[in-house]
Amino acid sequence: MLDRRHPHITMPDVPPAMDAEQAAVEAHARDKELTKHHFEPHEHPCVRIEHLMKTFDGETQVLTDVNLTVWPGEVVCVLGPSGSGKSTMLRCINLLEKPTAGHILIEDNEITGHLGTKEVNRLRQNLGMVFQSFNLFPHLSAKGNVMIGQTKVLKKSKDEAEAEALKQLDAVGLLDRADFKPAQLSGGQQQRVAIARAVAMHPDILLFDEPTSALDPELVRGVLDVMRDLAENGGMTMIVVTHEMGFAREVADRVVFMEGGVVVEQGTPEMVFDNPQNPRTAEFLGSIG
Amino acid sequence: MRAAHSHRLGRLVIACVTALVALALLPSQAQALTTEKATARPNEDGGTGVIGGMPTRLTWEGFVEEGEAITSVTLTLPEGASFDNTTTKVTVLDDLTRIPNDATATPSGNTITVQLSDPAKEGYKLRLEIEGMAFPPEGGDVVVTGSYESAGKKKDLAPSKPIATIANTWLQQMVSFLDAQPWVQAWNQNQFLGMFMKPQLVLTSLFSLFPGWLVCLGIVVVAYPFAILLGLVFALMKISKFRVVRAIAVVYINVLRGTPLFLQIYIMFFGLPMMNINIDNNVLGVIVMAINSSAYLAEIFRAGIESIPTGQYEAAASLGMGRLLTMVNIILPQTVRRVIPTVTSDFIMAFKDTSLLSSVGVMELMMFSKNLTSVTGNMTPYVTAAIFYLIVTLPLIKVVSTIEKRMAQSERGGGPRPKAKGKESGAEADDAATRDEAKGAEPSMVEALSAPFKAGTGVFGGVADAR
Ligand SMILES: Nc1ncnc2c1ncn2[C@@H]1O[C@H](COP(=O)(O)OP(=O)(O)OP(=O)(O)O)[C@@H](O)[C@H]1O
Ligand SMILES: [Mg+2]
Repeated sequence: MLDRRHPHITMPDVPPAMDAEQAAVEAHARDKELTKHHFEPHEHPCVRIEHLMKTFDGETQVLTDVNLTVWPGEVVCVLGPSGSGKSTMLRCINLLEKPTAGHILIEDNEITGHLGTKEVNRLRQNLGMVFQSFNLFPHLSAKGNVMIGQTKVLKKSKDEAEAEALKQLDAVGLLDRADFKPAQLSGGQQQRVAIARAVAMHPDILLFDEPTSALDPELVRGVLDVMRDLAENGGMTMIVVTHEMGFAREVADRVVFMEGGVVVEQGTPEMVFDNPQNPRTAEFLGSIG
Repeated sequence: MRAAHSHRLGRLVIACVTALVALALLPSQAQALTTEKATARPNEDGGTGVIGGMPTRLTWEGFVEEGEAITSVTLTLPEGASFDNTTTKVTVLDDLTRIPNDATATPSGNTITVQLSDPAKEGYKLRLEIEGMAFPPEGGDVVVTGSYESAGKKKDLAPSKPIATIANTWLQQMVSFLDAQPWVQAWNQNQFLGMFMKPQLVLTSLFSLFPGWLVCLGIVVVAYPFAILLGLVFALMKISKFRVVRAIAVVYINVLRGTPLFLQIYIMFFGLPMMNINIDNNVLGVIVMAINSSAYLAEIFRAGIESIPTGQYEAAASLGMGRLLTMVNIILPQTVRRVIPTVTSDFIMAFKDTSLLSSVGVMELMMFSKNLTSVTGNMTPYVTAAIFYLIVTLPLIKVVSTIEKRMAQSERGGGPRPKAKGKESGAEADDAATRDEAKGAEPSMVEALSAPFKAGTGVFGGVADAR
């Protein structure tokens, strides 16, 4: 397959996406050992990434061949050195980046084909994202930030959206900051508002891209607590790119180690942290811990 | 008999009527002192008008017709005029020869009586110059009437041609007051002060330039909303996905920003009438200013939109917002806040640029001050015009700097927040951390945060400066 804009790059021929039933059967067999999450025999994975490839400007190949399945309610932590393509993979899942080749299927629906803008927007409603730099809307209050997606996208009434916003702000412990502007909040508080904003859309899956990396050490705890609560009590499906090893070990059902644009190793936290199979994983964990 | 009687009666009636008509005509026929001239010296500061209620000089000339010997003349002005404390110069002329005469003038309110020592004879001309008299303060056309005595008989003078006088307003009184002040006289003695800041002219021009100032404000205030709308349209066109749309916007913006406003004014004001399109000068001024400003505003808006971090687009997208929703709800509200100082600066520019419209005859501030300067031969009206411009621009300049300062502090959290070094930053308790505490604990961070916005406004400033 040739990229029309960059004819000097040859795209690998990627096999078509697997049949849903067959994929589920294979995933069951493979993931049984790799995750602490309990899934039913009839369940299908809610995210399926097959041979995902991403090239920037037709030159820098960031993702070479990523394969991953995520089960409903599972918490997956993605580790890896800087530049290994963790963010890029996450951003491909909600199409903030357009995958170059390969397949991403959300609830067995392929999103890597040609989607209209309406379908893309519908998809993104269903995939909440929390950014490293929070990306709150500075002209809106904390409450306004949580409300705007509900009123403008979900077309909820103002009262409904406000009630939901206050509920979510309460859940992240910021009810008393509802009327504060982002500039008046600490980094940790801003990130918790950002989580409330994503959760208020009631997505099926939440994507976190290093949510605590921009925070002062003493502010990290509060954000992680909110995420842990979402994972343990909310039953939320979460894909978390993080450098917080403690969080990954305690909360994750599965830890995924990425390097050079591929998933090098994955397994339960115990498997990956205590007995890494790949020397690169061992080296990385050694350098961190 | 009866017929003869009635016939005689008829003749009598006719004779009576004839006599009556003759009587009625008699005074005009027998007019023996003809008013030849009645004028007043202008007493308007720097002008040509005659102001009521203020000292001036009345010059009256009469010609003595045949069979007369004038011994006295009485001039009467309407109620309110005053001959009190006047000095009157009486000249009796026989053609060009002065005839000596000891005359005495007796002023009394709005009349003055001049008694001649020797009667003025036929063919003589009588000239009265009454210095220090004043016309009625309410102004209007004033007619000199009166009477004269000729050989012991008193006759009426025919009314003179009217003298146009100006009402003496409180402004005129202020000017006369200033005229009389020693410090004003000393001030005006100084060549610079007298030429550029003559107090009397400052005062009067404040009033006479006011309509021009209103025209300037009116033009720019009406034009600006249109300019903002047009500018927004072209800004959005310039960041459009479609190349043709972008190209149209680029041409529009670059042509308007790349040519002088002066030229654009000439093209519009002289070009349109040649195509038989005649638009009122003020309306055309509004159109030119709106079109010109829209190009600058388009660039300001575009720069503002592009200064919003991509994180904002991504956050909106991750909530499922489409392009339009994102623009309207997320990007434009933030853009508006960011561009307010730059737009205000551009408004200041546009307001000052209305002065160029004077070159095509729009009656705005510059035009008024130019006219007044050429009438008075004094630069003060220009200085007054400067005051008028500054009344608008100085507060706006202050507003711009205040907003810029405030914005540097308030807009945080929209994009990446610099990671503070753990050791350097003070302990920031998560839940207690409010804006003030953060400021107190990490002043360096506040500065770091404001930096991108300062840089941003710098860019906009460049846009405005290019003008
Ligand atoms: N928009 C882009 N254009 C070009 N190259 C990009 C772009 N985004 C990312 N890259 C490159 O892709 C590589 C992987 O980036 P990515 O952000 O996915 O890494 P990461 O694993 O998230 O690293 P980190 O831990 O530092 O966040 C990097 O080398 C980066 O320079
Ligand atoms: Mg990253």
